Amino acid sequence: MTAPDLPSKPGGWLAERLGWASIASRLGGYSMSRRGFAFYLGGITLFLLVVQVASGILLTLYYQPDAAYAHGSVERIVGEVAYGDLVHAVHSWTADLFVASLFLHLFTVMIRRSFRSPHELSWLTGVALLALGVGQAFTGAVLPWSERAYTHARIGSELARYVPLVGGWLHRFMRGGEDVTSSTLAHAFGFHVAVLPAAVALVLSGHLFLLTRRPVQRPPQPNAESIPLYPDFFVRQGVALTGAMVIVLTLAIFVDRPLGPVADPRVSSAPDAQPPWYFLPVHAIVRAAPKELLGIEGPRFLVGAACVMGLAFVALPFLDRRGSRVTAWAAWVLLVTLLLLSLRALS
Amino acid sequence: MRSPSPLLLAVFAGLLALLGAVPAARAVVPAPSAAPSTNGAASVPLASRSLPSPMNATNTCASCHATLTDTKLRTPAKEYAHSAHRDDRIGCVGCHHGDPRDPTVGAHAKSMGFEPHPTHVEVPQICGGCHSDAAFIRRLNGRLPVGQAALFTLSLHGKLTAAGDGVAPDCSTCHGKHDIQPPSSPLSPVNRTNVAKLCSGCHADKQKMAGYDIRTDQFEKWKKSVHGQAFAAGNPNAPTCTSCHGAHASTPPDAASVAHACGRCHETEMQLFEQSPHSQGFRRRGLAACVACHSNHDVARASAIMVGTGPDATCMKCHNNDEKPRRVADEISNLLRGARERAADARAAVARATTAGLRVSGAPYSLDQVATAETKVRSVVHTLDPARVQAVVSDIESAADETQRLVQSAERNRRLERRGYYAALGLGALLLLALSLKAMDLDRRRRQGGS
Repeated sequence: MTAPDLPSKPGGWLAERLGWASIASRLGGYSMSRRGFAFYLGGITLFLLVVQVASGILLTLYYQPDAAYAHGSVERIVGEVAYGDLVHAVHSWTADLFVASLFLHLFTVMIRRSFRSPHELSWLTGVALLALGVGQAFTGAVLPWSERAYTHARIGSELARYVPLVGGWLHRFMRGGEDVTSSTLAHAFGFHVAVLPAAVALVLSGHLFLLTRRPVQRPPQPNAESIPLYPDFFVRQGVALTGAMVIVLTLAIFVDRPLGPVADPRVSSAPDAQPPWYFLPVHAIVRAAPKELLGIEGPRFLVGAACVMGLAFVALPFLDRRGSRVTAWAAWVLLVTLLLLSLRALS
Repeated sequence: MRSPSPLLLAVFAGLLALLGAVPAARAVVPAPSAAPSTNGAASVPLASRSLPSPMNATNTCASCHATLTDTKLRTPAKEYAHSAHRDDRIGCVGCHHGDPRDPTVGAHAKSMGFEPHPTHVEVPQICGGCHSDAAFIRRLNGRLPVGQAALFTLSLHGKLTAAGDGVAPDCSTCHGKHDIQPPSSPLSPVNRTNVAKLCSGCHADKQKMAGYDIRTDQFEKWKKSVHGQAFAAGNPNAPTCTSCHGAHASTPPDAASVAHACGRCHETEMQLFEQSPHSQGFRRRGLAACVACHSNHDVARASAIMVGTGPDATCMKCHNNDEKPRRVADEISNLLRGARERAADARAAVARATTAGLRVSGAPYSLDQVATAETKVRSVVHTLDPARVQAVVSDIESAADETQRLVQSAERNRRLERRGYYAALGLGALLLLALSLKAMDLDRRRRQGGS
């Protein structure tokens, strides 16, 4: 004698109660283009953000946002709190990977010209998320209040001075005053755990809402293969996310990122001190600039020119409505230029 | 209009009279009690002399001497201008007398008590004239002591000087003459930082010390000693010559008193030594406590090697052939060695954990306890009682064991956590593999379905 409602497959019991069969058939009705790795970058970026939020919440349980205790509290998280070393390493690595995947996601969209109508708003919210992500990474890098954190804060905010019109304000805003002091730390903490996450949540909601309204499901090339959203696309996205998780865990467990000594504002940083890696191209421009260009201070001129290019980048869907091939090539040129500038800043 | 009442007028007049009296009261200077001459000039209130002077209103000696071409006569005036005695209530007349109202060479009149070169015997009397007068000194500087001249007469230096010894120092030998600075000034030869150099000026000079039958190597020995090295390293508590020998009442400590000199700083060690069998024995044999084992000027950093029967052990200087003292020395030495090794192991364990990125909660506290007990054992060893040493050594050992336990617990937890991380990574890799296979399977099925 057998019980009449025993499921035939594991998980079937739950699926029956959730009515999964109808959900799955609806999801299976959507079709997605079967693309390479680049197509899954949006999902990976979102996954990294979720990991950031989860690990960040755990870190705030022990972190003390005060210049006198910040470094010691991070030392305690890494050296004393159970699993603290893993949580800290995961948060630190996903921060960099998050910014990197934001950049790559944006370049992929640019190269694939997926910003075209009717996806202008997705592009704009995406660019806003990139700016917010860089803000998150920058404010987060200040929090350990180590020598490196201090150098990053000082040089990163120094570069902001050359931005036209708002440079002086941005410089003071990033430092929370004229100099990098304990106020900078308090300022960075507030932005890192409250202001920026709230803004990210808001803009990201818009970004994802737009995706559900007008999903990028139309294959750009007519001969491209399409696959159902469920289960094929879900499983493939699962492979991408699990791959990202394995990479993050491997880096966190095996690649040590020493905290370094506590920040000492009395010690001037080394002449070859670097800003965070996402500011390296600007650092290279400022360092290589001549003293004066067309009557304007050299670095200010070049950073101003870069800002104008940045504005053109933001307005891309309106400048190139049909998505010409030139834009795809420009994206490659921009990517290579940024890499070369970063390498030059490091040398 | 009402006229002011007579009572109010009287009060007002009284107040005016009081105000007028204040400057006069300020200008009163006592006649130096022990000065060789007590003529009228020295007791005249200096502020009442209204002779003009570029330096100050009353000191024509300094203003005139500052313009002289003879260096020997000009230098004292220039030095005086920067000295602690530069005060119109003291002036040059305070020591040399004479008449500062007279702007001519007449100021040097012998009839006014002028004394250009006070003798070796007179100097302590001149200085003591003011510095032993509490009322006078308090008006100038409330913090200055007043007993130096009396103390000096008690010292060996003072006795020799009073007896007319030409080498023994008077006040000016150490403090300077016209350029006297307060002892708190680094420019003063008697400032803490300069005093060893000052004493060695005479005591390391073989010629000067030839008539006194005393050694001249104290300064060199002190420089190499643990005291001298701590002093050179800027330790504000490190002793210099006057810390042990005193300043104005300096007297060489003898066998009976040396423990009290050391005990001024090493109080606990002195008390514990008094309880040891050595205390009585040293007294009977006339041996100097402390010095017998630690030496005096060249006192070395004390270490556990000093106790025991080894070649460097201090005990063997006297007890080479005594069976019982040898046994006690060996027993204490073994206890100290054991404690030292346990403490070193505990410190190494904490260092190892720190290098590995661990912060062992409670370990700094238990290491502090180790250090506190180590300080204590260095004192208790002066009792030469193995049972008392054993009690403190047990404290060291239990604090060291607690440290080891904490470190091992932290290391064990870290190892367990790492295993968990590897397991999580392995599960992640398995999930990746399973999902990849599933994706490939779905691809294959879709292609088969499509074709």
